[in-house]
Amino acid sequence: MSALPAAPSPARAAPGGALLGVARGLAARSLVNVTRRPSAVVPTIAMPLFFIVAFSGAFSSLTDIRGFPTDNPINWFMPWAIMQGAAFAGMGICFGVARDLEDGFYDRLLMAPTHRASLILGPMLAAVVRVLLPVVTVSAVGFLAGARLTDGPLGMVTLLVAAEGFALVAGLWGLGVVYRIREQKSSALIQVGIFVTMFLSVGQTPIDLQEGWLPHVARLNPLTYVIDMARAGFVGPITWADVWPGLVAIGVGLVVLGAWALTGFRRLVR
Amino acid sequence: MTIPVEAVGLVRRFGDIVAVAGVDLRVEPGEVFAFLGPNGAGKSTTVRMLTTLLAPSAGTARVAGYDVVTEAAQVRRAIGVALQDAAIDPLMTGRELLRLQAVLYGLPRARAEARSAELLERVGLTAAAGRRVGKYSGGMRRRLDLALSLLHEPEVLFLDEPTTGLDPTSRLNLWDELRTLNLEHGTTVFLTTQYLEEADQLAARIAIIDGGRIVREGEPNRLKAEVGAPTLRIEVRDAQADVARTVLARFGAERPDRAGVLAIGLDGGAAEMTSVVRALDEASVVIEHMELNAPSLDDVFAEATGRRLEGADGDAAAGPGATPGEPAA
Repeated sequence: MSALPAAPSPARAAPGGALLGVARGLAARSLVNVTRRPSAVVPTIAMPLFFIVAFSGAFSSLTDIRGFPTDNPINWFMPWAIMQGAAFAGMGICFGVARDLEDGFYDRLLMAPTHRASLILGPMLAAVVRVLLPVVTVSAVGFLAGARLTDGPLGMVTLLVAAEGFALVAGLWGLGVVYRIREQKSSALIQVGIFVTMFLSVGQTPIDLQEGWLPHVARLNPLTYVIDMARAGFVGPITWADVWPGLVAIGVGLVVLGAWALTGFRRLVR
Repeated sequence: MTIPVEAVGLVRRFGDIVAVAGVDLRVEPGEVFAFLGPNGAGKSTTVRMLTTLLAPSAGTARVAGYDVVTEAAQVRRAIGVALQDAAIDPLMTGRELLRLQAVLYGLPRARAEARSAELLERVGLTAAAGRRVGKYSGGMRRRLDLALSLLHEPEVLFLDEPTTGLDPTSRLNLWDELRTLNLEHGTTVFLTTQYLEEADQLAARIAIIDGGRIVREGEPNRLKAEVGAPTLRIEVRDAQADVARTVLARFGAERPDRAGVLAIGLDGGAAEMTSVVRALDEASVVIEHMELNAPSLDDVFAEATGRRLEGADGDAAAGPGATPGEPAA
């Protein structure tokens, strides 16, 4: 067997899609498809709304417990519900990628002369936009139901940053899984990973009020610090100490799960 | 001049399974080259390696002058691909898909719009361009897929079973489109198919792949001529099959065929038909059906592999203008 000699470059060749241009194009496709398959976005809004209504009512007495950071159950559960919406937004784009892989559309993307990073960046951009859905709708319902910012508009900024960060991290986790399994059945594993992480955090109960092994796990769970950041503007004055651990947790999550997604992506064309 | 497709010793393994077992290929510029074989022969796996979707386990390949492994990005710039299952998002409209394709290939917006309009017109989808692809027929999807693969004016076009599942009219239309593309634009076409007639009608050269290996390669007419004698097929009652086989053996070597059919290469050609009928009659064999066909690509395949191409009959029936066989010369 002999290697083939190099040949001169062809007369015709497409320039190839630019990183940001392709990412924007893929994000736009994802978002347009959301409007055409509304069922795909229902969990992003419906589940958080259900949570905020059900939990704020059923667990309203929680805030009477001594040491609870707020006496307003809506203030406690609204950021948590928005974080759930963010998780669905991040996971939702992965389900779309799984569908593309399963029906062959992803081959079209892989065969295009694009910057490979754009195929990951595109879905991430879509997730960033999709997060706005739960942030806007759940906040609107929450404020109508009695949620109050305790440190002014900055509380919405920290909540938005936390939600966006979590959506991206959840999306990268999901992409890593999808790239490895390449089928829509990967959605079960993605959701298990996300929801176990969420419920082993301070989502429902402050860490000081948790008992047994739960607080130890919650302290090790990076999501705890992201949720703390999300709630910072709803449970008191915002301090840097409320925010920086969350930012670090998001940063570490992006790096680690970004590598997880990237290594999964590379397996696609082996 | 750059060789559009060239492969040496191309191998792809999936665990213990060897899907492609050392394929050597060379496609000339401006040629329509057909890669013919049954399901599972290794056609699609070879195409996936040539289009950079799969890395070869061994061997080398260059497409449009670039190595498919080390220069994959350049290969992707130069090729257009329409894969077997037209991978088209059913939620998007035809026009939106063309726009996305233009973004993926980095085409300037104005050029992309003009080219899209031209291609939509060419494949007869201008009126349907604003409709979601989920509402398209199979033929419309294939034509849109073809338009998508041509948007950036590729040097080499890969079509993986482009007419599988299409009705005869849609298949004819697509063939016409491919001929025009090749003749008027000089695009090199690498076509995989399991349809004998498709390869025969479209390709200047074919390669027959079976079990991951190329078993025959060349111009269709030359390959058929190499088979030599026309194929005589007869059908008799089961109880008389052995007697008929013994009689037929005097006139030529047995050829594989579908169950219930006895086939030989009739060494003496059409002139010997009378003798065959007489011999069978003398042996009291009742002939239920008899036909003499000039060598076909199916005969080429049968000679190379010892069996008929899977679905060959279905192919003949499905193909537009298909006939049971060409008349013997």
